[in-house]
Amino acid sequence: MRWRYPFALLAVLALFATACDEGDPVDVDDPTTDDPVDDPVDDPVDDPVDDDEAAVGGTLVAAIGGDPDQLDPHTTTSSFAFTVLENVYDTLVQPGDDLTPEPALAESWEISDDLLTWTFTLRDGVTFHDGSPLTAADVVASFERIAEEGANAFRLGAIDAYDAPDDLTVVMELNRPAPNLLDQIGAFKGMAIAPAAAIEAGTLGDEPIGTGPFAFVSFTPGDNVVLEANPDYWDDGPFLDGIDFRVIPDESVKVTNLETGEVDWIDSVPPQQLDQLEADDQIVLGRVAGNDYWYMSLNNDREPFDDPNVRRAIAFALDIEIITEAAKFDAATPNETAIPETSFWYFDYAPFGQDLDEAQRLLDEAGVSDLTIDLMVTNEFPETVTSAQVIASQLAEVGIDVEIRTEDFSTWLADQGDGEFDAFALGWLGNIDPDDFYYAQHHSTGGFNFQGFADDEVDELLDGARVETDADARKELYAQAAARIVDLASYIYFYNPEILEAWSPEGTGYEARPDVAPRFATTRKG
Amino acid sequence: MTEPTHDPAEELQAPDEPSEPRWRETLSALLKNRLAAAGMIVLALLILSAVFADLVAPYAYTDGDIVRRLEPPGRDHWFGTDELGRDVLSRVIFGARVSLQVGAVAVGISLMVGTLIGLISGYRGGWIDAVLMRTMDVLFSFPVVLLAIAIVAVLTPSLRNTMIAIGVVFTPIFARGVRGSVLSVREEVYVRASRSLGASDWRIISRHVLPNVAAPVIVQTSLSLAFAILTEAALSYLGIGVQPPRPAWGLMLLDAQGFIPTGAWWMSLFPGLAIFLTVMALNLVGDGLRDALDPKQRSIIQSRGVT
Repeated sequence: MRWRYPFALLAVLALFATACDEGDPVDVDDPTTDDPVDDPVDDPVDDPVDDDEAAVGGTLVAAIGGDPDQLDPHTTTSSFAFTVLENVYDTLVQPGDDLTPEPALAESWEISDDLLTWTFTLRDGVTFHDGSPLTAADVVASFERIAEEGANAFRLGAIDAYDAPDDLTVVMELNRPAPNLLDQIGAFKGMAIAPAAAIEAGTLGDEPIGTGPFAFVSFTPGDNVVLEANPDYWDDGPFLDGIDFRVIPDESVKVTNLETGEVDWIDSVPPQQLDQLEADDQIVLGRVAGNDYWYMSLNNDREPFDDPNVRRAIAFALDIEIITEAAKFDAATPNETAIPETSFWYFDYAPFGQDLDEAQRLLDEAGVSDLTIDLMVTNEFPETVTSAQVIASQLAEVGIDVEIRTEDFSTWLADQGDGEFDAFALGWLGNIDPDDFYYAQHHSTGGFNFQGFADDEVDELLDGARVETDADARKELYAQAAARIVDLASYIYFYNPEILEAWSPEGTGYEARPDVAPRFATTRKG
Repeated sequence: MTEPTHDPAEELQAPDEPSEPRWRETLSALLKNRLAAAGMIVLALLILSAVFADLVAPYAYTDGDIVRRLEPPGRDHWFGTDELGRDVLSRVIFGARVSLQVGAVAVGISLMVGTLIGLISGYRGGWIDAVLMRTMDVLFSFPVVLLAIAIVAVLTPSLRNTMIAIGVVFTPIFARGVRGSVLSVREEVYVRASRSLGASDWRIISRHVLPNVAAPVIVQTSLSLAFAILTEAALSYLGIGVQPPRPAWGLMLLDAQGFIPTGAWWMSLFPGLAIFLTVMALNLVGDGLRDALDPKQRSIIQSRGVT
C-alpha cells in the first residue's frame, strides 16, 4: 500500500495551495497602503472625489491575449504591454471619451501667437509611485528619452527644444506649426511621463514607475502582470485593490474563463460568438466603433504592381463587403478609405465596389495575364488568414492566382521590412489624428511605407495638412490625399472593426474605448 | 566434393527465394485477418476518393457562399459548411489527397534514405556504422513534432517542405530497424558461404540481405504512414503545414477550433473522424502485415484457422 502516500501528500499540497491562493490579495497589498476593505474609514482620504456608494476593493482579474514583450512604455510596440501600461502611466494630455485631447498631467497650456511656442502648466501635487513629486524636469527627461529611443520619436518631429523654467512649467519650441501636437504627445501611453531619476538610472524597463491609478508589483513573462492600487492617484479612483493581468492566448478559452468567473474582464471577443454572448446575462459585452482599419497592400517595387492600373484592377475585383462579413461577421463596417464614419475626419469615398468587367479591362489594358500573387498573412491575426482565402477566391474570377503564405508574426514583420512580398494584409490599430492614418504609410519618406508607394501630390498634401491649423481646411487636405491614396490603391482598404471587450456584471464603472485603451481607474468590483 | 558445380549458398538461402508463392501467401494471410481486411477496405476507399476527388466531391474546395456559412449538415451539404460557406464534405475529401500525398512522399523519403543508411551501416560496420548511427541517434533524440516544426520553420511552410520535414524525422526509425536486421542477417551461414565463394558486396546485399530485411521494413512502412499523417495534421493544426485555402485535415481543425463554442460541431468532427479512420486503418493493416510476414506468428494464426 505504499503507493497511497504520494497521493495523500498531493492532496495536502493541493489544500495548502488553495489556502495560499485565498490569501493572495492580502500578500499583494503593500503594507504601507491603506487597505480599503480592512479600513473603510480611511477611504475619504484616499478618494476625495467619489466614494459614496462604497463597494470598494477586490482584485480585478483581467485576461489579455498575449505576453507584453516588455513594460518600458517608450520602447515597446506591443498592444498587450499598452493594455497594462494604460493603468500605470499618464501623459501630459490624454484622449477623452470622444478622443479629443483633455488635460491629464498638464492642467492647462498656452500657445504663442506664431504657433511655435507651447507652454504647459503641470498639475500640482502629483507624485510618482515611488513617492517623488512630478516636476517639469521629469517631463523634459521623458520626451528626450522618447526622441532618443526611436519607437515613437517621429511623433516629436515638430519639437526642437524643451525647457523647464520652473518645477511646474514646460515650454516646447516648435520648428513648424503643429495643429495635432496634443495628439502627438498624448494619444497613447507610448508618450508616458516617467521619473527623471529612473530614466537616468536605466531601471524603467525592469520596474515601471508612473503616476497612474495603479502601481507595478510584478511581471512573470508568459503568466501575469500584477498591479496594486495607487492611493495617491491625482484623479478619480482607484476603487480596486489591484489588477491581475493574466495571459490567455485562446479567445474561446478567455470567454469560458469569463463565464465561469475565473476572470473578470477579457480584452477581446471572437466575433462569431457575438450573438451568443449578447444573449448571455453572465456577461456584459462592450461594443464600440473603433478607429482601427484593415487593408491589403501590393508591393509597388515589383512588377506588375508598380502599375497603378494593375492595383486598381485588383481593387475592382474584390468585394469588400464579403471580405468584411467573412472576417468579422457583423462586428465591422466595410470602408474603402481608412478613417471610420464615427470620426470627425471621415471622408465618404468609395470609388471601387466590385466590378469584374472593369477589373478585367484594366488587366487587359496593362497587358497582364497569368498573374500570380504571393500574399503574406499571419496566424497571430487570424482575420488576415480568413480574408486572404476570400481574396484568393475573388481574384480567381479575373484569372489571378493567389498563393497564401502564413507566417508567424515576427517572420512576417521581417519579410515586410525586407520587401519580401507581392502583397500583405494587416491592420493599423489605435489611430486618432488623420496624420496617424496616412503620413507614415503613404508619404514617400514614411517610416511604414513598406509597399514603396511614392506620389508627389500625396506627399505635398500630407506635408501641407500637417501644418494647417484650421480644422476644416485640414480636413479638406486629408480628403484630397485620401482620394488619391485610394485611387492609386496604395492600400486597398477593407473595413473598420468594432472594439469588442467583455466583463462580468460584477464590474461597474468601466467602458470599452474606441482607442482600445482599457482604463480601470474608476472600475469597481462587486 | 563430388559435385563441384553445386553452389551451397543457393541451397542455404531458403528463406529469401519465395517471390511469387510467398507474396500470395502473405496476402491471403492478411485477408483472413478480418481487422486487417477492414483496414485495407477503408484505405482503398480513401485512396480512391483522394485520387478521384474532383469527381467524387460535390463542390470545389474553394467554393464558398458566405450567405450559407456555418450551416449544419443537411441535404445540400452532407457534412455542413464552414465559416466561409464551403462544403465540409468536399474539403474532407480533398484533404485526403493532401494527407495521403504527404504520408506517401514523406515515408517514401525516409524509407529510401533510412534503408540505405541502415544497409551501409549494418553491412560495413566499423567507423562508418558509428558515425551514421550516432547521427541517427541525434535526430532520434528530438521529439518528432518538435524536430518537424524546426525543419519547416527553417525551410518556410509549404506542402513540399512539410513532406521533406516529416521524411527527415522518420528516417532514423528505418535506419535503425534495417541496421538491426542486417547485423543478424550478415552473420547467417548462407551469407558467409556466399562471401567465401567470392560474391561481391553488391550481390550479397541485393540477393541475400535486402530480401531478408524486407519484412520488418514493410511493416514499419505502414505504421510510419499512420504516424506521418498524424504529424502532418499536427503541423497543419499549428498553421505551419499546408497553406490555406488548400484543405488539410489539421488545418480544418485549426479553423474549426474557434467555432466549437458557437455549436458548429460538424466543422471539427468530420476532419477529426477522417484522421482517426485513416490512422486506424493503417495501424490495422500494419498489425496484419506483421502477423502475416512473421513466419512464427503466421503458423500460430494458421493453426488457429484450422481448428
